Parts: sequence; structure tokens; C-alpha cells
Amino acid sequence: MTCTLGEVKQRADFIVYWGGNPAECHPRHFTKYTIMQKSKFLPRGRKDRTMVLVDIRETKSAKAADIFMQVKPGKDFELITILRALIKHQHVGDDQIAETGVTREMLDDLVQRMKSCKFGCFFFGMGLSMTRGKHMNSAALLTLAAEMNAFTKFVAMPMRGHGNVTGADVIMRWQTGYPFGITFNRGYPRYNPGEFSTVDVLVRGDCDAAFIIGADPGATMPQPAIDHLKRIPTICLDPHITHTSKLARVHITTAAQGISAPGTAYRMDELPLPLKPALKSPYPTDEDVVRRINKAISEKPFWLPEGSQPQMITAQV
Amino acid sequence: MTINLHLKQAPSVPLEAEVLSPNVMAELSNSEIRALVVYHGKRQVPLEEFFDVDGERSYELIIHGELNKVRLIGRAMSRGTVTVHGSVGMHLGALMTGGRIEVHGDASDWIGAEMKNGFIHVHGNAGGQIGAAYRGALAGMKNGTIIVDGSAGLEVGMRMRRGTIILGGPAKDFTGLQMKGGTIILQSGAEIRTGAWMNRGTIISMKPLQMMPTFAYASDFNPTFTNVYAKQLKPHGIDLPFAGSDGTYQRFAGDLSVPGKGEILVWQPA
Amino acid sequence: MLRITGGKIYDPANGIDGHVRDICINDRGKIVDSVDGGRTINASGMIIFPGGVDVHTHVAGGAMNFARAMTPEDHRRTQAFIRTQSRRSGLGGMAPTTFATGYLYAGMGFTTVNEAAVPVLSARHTHEELADIPIVDKATLTLMANNEIMLDQMEAGEYERAKNVVAWYIWAAKSYGVKAVNPGGVAAWKWGSDAKQMTDSIDGYNSLTPGKIVTMLATICDDLGLPHPMHLHCNNLGAPGNISTTLDTLKHLEGHRAHIAHSQYHAYGGDDWDTMCSATAQLAEYFNTHPNITTDAGAVLFGDTVTITADGPWQHLLYKLTGRKWGNLDVENETGCGIVPYTYRPSNLVNAVQWASGLELMLLIKNPWQVFLSTDHPNGGCFWRYPEIIQLLMCADFRNECIAKLPDKIKGRITLPEIDREYTLYEVATSMSAGPARALGLTQKGNLGVGCDADIVIYEEEDDVARMFSHPRYVIKAGEVVIEDGEIRETPEGREFLVKPSYAPETDEFMRPRFEDCYTMSFENYPVEIERIENPNMQECINANED
Ligand SMILES: [Zn+2]
Repeated sequence: MTCTLGEVKQRADFIVYWGGNPAECHPRHFTKYTIMQKSKFLPRGRKDRTMVLVDIRETKSAKAADIFMQVKPGKDFELITILRALIKHQHVGDDQIAETGVTREMLDDLVQRMKSCKFGCFFFGMGLSMTRGKHMNSAALLTLAAEMNAFTKFVAMPMRGHGNVTGADVIMRWQTGYPFGITFNRGYPRYNPGEFSTVDVLVRGDCDAAFIIGADPGATMPQPAIDHLKRIPTICLDPHITHTSKLARVHITTAAQGISAPGTAYRMDELPLPLKPALKSPYPTDEDVVRRINKAISEKPFWLPEGSQPQMITAQV
Repeated sequence: MTINLHLKQAPSVPLEAEVLSPNVMAELSNSEIRALVVYHGKRQVPLEEFFDVDGERSYELIIHGELNKVRLIGRAMSRGTVTVHGSVGMHLGALMTGGRIEVHGDASDWIGAEMKNGFIHVHGNAGGQIGAAYRGALAGMKNGTIIVDGSAGLEVGMRMRRGTIILGGPAKDFTGLQMKGGTIILQSGAEIRTGAWMNRGTIISMKPLQMMPTFAYASDFNPTFTNVYAKQLKPHGIDLPFAGSDGTYQRFAGDLSVPGKGEILVWQPA
Repeated sequence: MLRITGGKIYDPANGIDGHVRDICINDRGKIVDSVDGGRTINASGMIIFPGGVDVHTHVAGGAMNFARAMTPEDHRRTQAFIRTQSRRSGLGGMAPTTFATGYLYAGMGFTTVNEAAVPVLSARHTHEELADIPIVDKATLTLMANNEIMLDQMEAGEYERAKNVVAWYIWAAKSYGVKAVNPGGVAAWKWGSDAKQMTDSIDGYNSLTPGKIVTMLATICDDLGLPHPMHLHCNNLGAPGNISTTLDTLKHLEGHRAHIAHSQYHAYGGDDWDTMCSATAQLAEYFNTHPNITTDAGAVLFGDTVTITADGPWQHLLYKLTGRKWGNLDVENETGCGIVPYTYRPSNLVNAVQWASGLELMLLIKNPWQVFLSTDHPNGGCFWRYPEIIQLLMCADFRNECIAKLPDKIKGRITLPEIDREYTLYEVATSMSAGPARALGLTQKGNLGVGCDADIVIYEEEDDVARMFSHPRYVIKAGEVVIEDGEIRETPEGREFLVKPSYAPETDEFMRPRFEDCYTMSFENYPVEIERIENPNMQECINANED
């Protein structure tokens, strides 16, 4: 259901941006990976590709699109679900389609184009994944892409925000099996988004300390989460002064990743890219700091009393 | 003979207490019960640190206190009863295979998740994912009954296969998401996307619903099974209208996107 | 320093078949003639094997990591590794996490694993994951057969250039050899189609066929002197009647060394799913007459798994057959990867044929130096279930009990019921250690001779073979006791084996424009720096043509 951006650049002749505004938020996306590129398979570049934009308002990206579909706010899930029905020749009523803000003609045309392309790709942005329905909106588009493979090659890919979000996700997966929303309180990884995801833990006040690297929840999270961060000892590693560093009990200034600290960043399609620092920093890297903290902790008594071990919660009893 | 537990102090972080189950306590003496291990965050502490315990060797548990940070109560229990006077935390009765849980207060998310059988009654409000499948699992509750007198959160009955969920208050979005069977009864309706992607099963609503566009109006009818349901639900104090009452059900079929054979019945008073 | 005394040694590399002998290990983790002082392990009554070597497995990289994300329900029911002072936490199961992978392999007596499918672009990711797999030593193979830059040179008849391109990629990816998957087929899949026969044309090319790719790539591997020959995943995987494709492929390899991956999936007769049957006898016959070719079984075990291969078409077929969730991951310019959770059931005739075929190949190929234990983890079953396969190989009675549980319609479709061969311990040691080590060209592995790596597994002899092989009494890695009495004692880091085949110096400049045209990564950013490999261990290329 997913692929790398290079695949898109080389082969995708049908590209849909859903709930994103690449022209303004990911300006290099067009020129580097998607519609503007020529390739062996699509020698005429832009002319060989069709681009569709689906969004609740006509952003700058609409100008670049061949087709712009304006979906009513909060109707993305419904619209994608209608598409899932239409590709299977299920009848959906005109009134029902109209509720989403588009017409049957537009959808019939879209379905026909989706089925007749050689390689289709959905990119979805925060306009889809962070609005009402959240993960189910993304799941809907991923499902539609998977189902389209009965007709032609189709993939879907999230357009992630900035920072190495993908990197964190990738590493958590190989070390714990899960991408996020993990607890280690029983000595092994357990997963339940909504229960263990950071924002939910903070909003409910379920933690009594916070350690924050490479993020600024003080600027982005809901107020109850921020209030909880203020209540508990919060430690923040950041090269800059941020909303979070201001509310934290401890702020350790670190070298900026990629500018003065080396490492690997994972691109939104999970391809790893080396970070080669151009500058030297007087500050330690995040890695240095975490290693030193780990070392200091390892010199303290082990967190479990001698001879005891937490019990795994078994699936069945 | 019962086992009475009183919460002494509110936990500062979630307390995982799957030992609060008749299956665990039924054969234990009072001192053994007090020594059972619960997890206060990552720390393992004896149950008595948080609870006063009266009684021993019983399948009947009565728990008192504001337990909203106490999770996993009655998890995987197979028989006996758990009665809570106060509120409870997540995963109440998850994976249970039998027995009865009653909460005189509010409950949180994931109550009765993936339960196989048994009965849960929450007299207050509940959270989301009632009787649901845990992330990635194919099926949610497989049998049993969950009654919530108050409201409920997101994704009630997600991927449930069999069994019944009855809500007195309104539910939030995605009620009956990807349902595979069973019945959900909504006495006060639900917000949006009810029955989304459902495959089979029945959702009955006493109040008008905003339907997904991928449900098709099929007919007005009064199936006899609502009659049967009405009789079954009467003892729980629930009045389900049925043939002979004043009105009819509008039947919607879907979700066409699957394409599924589920149905949503919406009561239309005459 | 360590001395192991009194054990019965099975060391096929040195022809030692159950003789009692002492083994001495020096401080550098090598086997030596004698040591003074240090610990002594009394292994009287015990069985000593060289540490296991997995010639074909998938334990790290983008596809595996995608599989982990897709199977949270399996993680919940599987064995959890709870953190202790010497061990990190993790989860076992169908797609184990990195730390757990190391613990599970070592716990079963395996000390070297070969990650058999690394897409060029995610090599950096794969190495980062491998660095988090403790205890075992590792090698990686780079996926080459659908690399468009290489294919363009082959199409143009530029053999030398194609060879340079391959060598450049091996070193850039810091890998140990070449894996060819479904030559020509995966490239076609990117358009939603597939290349099935060796003479099929390939979409986007005029004269190139899968057959030509196979022959040329095998020649390149030989000419570069790679210690491990071309590692080939044949076309038409998993399809009824694919034996003809497989035999045809093997004919294109005449005169070359090669390793055929998971041959169970390539040994079917019949015309469709209803008539599918085992054709292992034909395939085994080929191996029995061609000693330069090796293979691994790719055996199937009944139960749940997640299938994950670089073979997109097969995965899509599985998805259609099962209707279960499907993840497809295409890596630019190289290969696709598909991921589907799957359950092999004895009641399913196709699965039953697959189960029997894997065992048949291991039993019908006479020379254990040619056929190795594998499940193509996780595709046919999880690697930590190898002891179950060993039991099926060693005990004909047990095998017959299992056959009796298969549906009646299986009669006439498989030859397993007619086979009464039972593996000896010596043959098991060959198939799980000495053989794969030799095929990989790792002379210091799978060998208890003086100078070799002290990777040793010691079993308490017992009748329950599956139990014995899944619970070694001691596992020693590079001279260190890592497992003792079922407990993980030490978790040293493993090494990574690399080769640097030579290529023309102008290859960099040749690659640059093509690379930047094909990929969305800058040319400078691509090659994995040697500093990024934890504990690299350079292996020499051989000159195969002069042998
Ligand atoms: Zn493989």
C-alpha cells in the first residue's frame, strides 16, 4: 500500500493530494518527487501525469491541479467510503453524494481515471489525518488504495510534518514492534493508542514526569496536556528556547540535529538519509545527553527489587 | 460471603489491577489477597497498599471508591460477580468469558473489549471502544451483554462479532465500526458515522440517526425479532418498541463500501 | 578462555561424527589446540554442534519493519522478553523485534544469520536494525535482479559495465552478496503485471528476458569472486506447475555456482490450485546430479505467520486468496515488497502440499551439504520453530503421524509417505550449520576446527528431539557463554560480514547521473559509510574461475 517517493517520481501517472497543501507546506514535493518530474516511463513529465486535489478550500495547490474537488468540511471519511463503494459498482444515491459537496459526474470521472491509470498514488495531509475521524480517515484512504490494487497499481502515503517523526516511528517499531503509544511499565512493550499515546497520557494526567526530545508539545498540545506538563517535573532537550523549554523544570541545550549533530533522518517514505553536520556546536548532541543520563541511571539500584519480575499480561487466562 | 475492598488512597498514576477478579481471589485467604501484586505505574506493590480488604475465599467482589485510575478490573474473569460503588478505569471486564460486573458510577474506555461472554452493566456513563477489538485484532466481543445507562464514546462495538450492547445515553462517532455481527441498541441515538464499514449485524436506534451515505434505505418494517428483544430487555428496565407499538422501523442496509450485509433500524414513532 | 570436555562432537566440516573430544577456546574467541586455565564446561553425555547458520532469513529492514507494524495482535499474544539487567525488552512472534531476534536465534543455538533481501536504498536502515540484533553475526544480500540501472546495461549488452554496477552496489550497500528475486518479474509488477517464464519479455525492455538476467548475474557473481554465489529466488514463486520454470531457470545456471532460495515454493506440479501437487522428486534429482548448486528448503509449518517477500506478485495472489490485510511496499528502482498475515492449515490441500514438499526436498536431496534448514522466515514459519522441522526430519514415525492428519485427497499429490529416510545428528549438523556456512563462503563458521570462530552449541541428549534442539544447555558465541541452562547470560554485539568486490574506478562517475535520474536521493548521500557498520568484518573475494 505504500512505496518510495522515487517510485512516484518514476511511474505515478495519477496523483491525488488529499487534505494537504503541498504548494505551500511541502513546496519541493511537486518539483522533486511528483508532478513536475520527467522519467523514463513518463517522458513528458507534467503532461503525462494527472493531479487531483481534494480539500475543503481552494488553496494555492489547486492551481497546480488538473482536477480540484472541494469536499465539505468533515466529509472526507464519507467521500472516501463512497469511492470504496463506487469502485465496486455499488449504487450510492445522488442525495448522499451531494452531502459531501461533490457531484456524481465528478466521482464517476474520478473513479474512471483511478481505474484506468497505470500507477496511482494518494498523498494525504493533516487536513485528513487531524480532522474529525483522525486515524479512521487515514485508514479509509489506505483501504481505498489497497482495494484499488484489484484494478491497477495504487499506493497511499502520509505527508508527515517536519522533524524526524518518521525516524522515531521506524525505530520504535524495530525495537518494540509498535510505532507509538507504547508503555514499558511491565518491563516489555505494550501498545494501545488512546491509552498510552503521549497526548492522552498528558491530558488524563497519567504520568508523573516527562522527558521531551525534539518536540514542542507546549506549543501544539491541548491545554490540559500543557497544564499537566507544568505540574510535573518536565525535562526538555532542545537547541532552542521553545514553549516547552519555558515550562520545563530542566532545559538542556543540545546541538541541532543535522546542522551540528550527525545522525540519520527518515524521509516520509521511510528512506533513511544521513545527516552530515556542517557546523560544530559547543553543546552536546541529544544522543550524548541521553547516553550520559542512561549511564547515571545504570549506576543506581535496578528498578526492580532483586529476584522479582513483572508479570506479562497474557492475551488469555 | 463476599470480599469487600475499599480504596484507601487514589493512585497518582494508573494502577493496573487485573487481580481484582473473582477468578484470582476465589481460593485465597485474606492475607493472600492483600499480598496480591498490582502495578502502580512501573512499581509492583501489594494490593493492601491501595485497598482495605475484608473477607476471603469468595466469588463475589464488592469494590468501593473512585477507581477511575484503576485499570483491568475483572479482566478475563469467567465467573462470579464484581460490584463497584464508584467509578472505574479502562479495560473493565475485557476478555471476560463469564460472570457479571455491575458499576454504580462511570466507566472508562475498552469495557468488555474482546469479551467472550458474561454481563456488564454500567449505571453511569462509559468511554469509547465498548466491546471493541484491540488494535489490529480481527474481532471484538464474541458474545455476552453490555448495558450502559449513560452515554458512550467513540467506536462502540468496533468489529464485534456477536453479543449485545445497549446504550441508554447517546454514543459518539463510529458506533458499530466494521461490525461483523451482534446487536447494538441506541436508546438516545449517536453522533455521526454509525455503522461505518459494517459487514453484518444490527444497529437499532430509538432516535433519528445521521446515516452514512453508503447505507441505502430498504423498507419500513417491524421485524418479529424486535419483539423477542423487547421481552429479553424488559427485566433490565429497557423499553424497546416493537410490532404493536405505535410506529415502525425504517430499515437501512449497508455498508455498501464493504459491501456489507449489515442493517440499521431507526424507530419512527407514528 | 574456555575448555569443553567430554562431549560428543558433530563437526561435519572436519568429518567428525560423534567422537568424544575436548574443545579449547582462547581469549579472542577462536578454537585452539590447548588452553591453560580458565573455565571448564563438563559436557559428558552431551552433544556438541557448531553454532547454527541461517542461510536465508528476513530479520531486518523496511519490509520486516512494516510487517511488525501490521501485526500488533500477534505481538500481544506472543512471548515477551521482559527487561532485566543484562537483557533489553522485546517481543517474539511472527515478526520479532530486533533485540528479541538476537535472543531467540541464540536461544536456539544459531550464531550466524544471513538477511537475504536488502533493497539498495534502505541498506542504511537495514544496517541500523542489524546493529540492534545482539549476539549473532550477520551478513546481508543486496537485491539486484530488478535494478533498472543494471538491467539497462544488460539490455545494451554492456557486460563489463553491468558487472561494475553490481560491484559498486554491493560495496555502497555494505553487503555480502547478491540476491536475485523474481528476475524481471518484480520490475513488471510495478505496473501490476508479472513475468512468469524465462523467455517472457519484460515490460519496458526489448530483448531482455528473465533467463538472460539469471545467466548474466550468475556470471557476474562468479567473476567478482563473491564468497557466496548468486542467491536466487526463482520466478513464478508459489504457483502450481512452477517446476518447469524452476528447472528452466536451473538450466540457465549450468556451469555456474548458485544458491536457490526456498526451493519448496518452486517445486509444484499441476495446472491450477485444484490439481497442484508436489514435484520435488524432479527438483531433487537435479540437485543430486549438480553438486555445484545449493538450496535451502523454505519449509512450511502449519500455523500463523506473516508472509513478507520482495515478490510482489505472489503477495497479491495471497491477498486475493485470503482477503486479509495487505501491505505492499515498493522501493524505487529495485524491487517491491509485499506483506500478508497468513495461516497455513493442514486441512487446506495447497498448504498440505507445501508442508510435505519442504520436507521432501530435505529428504530427497541426498547430500546434506546441498540442502539447508530454512523456513524463509517468516514466510513458511518462524525461525524459532526450526526444532520442529528437525524433529520431522529425524523421526519417520512422527512424520507419519503428521501425514495421517492431512486430508485424504493428499494421496497421490505428495511423495513424503514413501520416504523413510531419517536424518542423523551428523546430517542435521551439516544442514543447519556446516553446509550453510560453506555455501556462504564463511570458512570460520560451522566448523569446530582449530582457528575457527568458537561458536558452539551444546545440547543435553534427550529423546524429544524438538525439545532438545529448542533448549540447548549452553550456547557459546565467539568463546563467550551467552546461554546457560535456558537463561540469557551475556548479550555481546555481533559482527557484520562485508565484501568489497573490485570495480572500475570510473564507475562512480558512470553511476552518478543515472542514480540521480532514478532515485530521489542525492548520490553522495547514498553509499553507507563503513563507520555506520557496527563491528564490520571484511571477507576476501575468491577467484572462482581459477578453481
Ligand atoms: Zn526469502
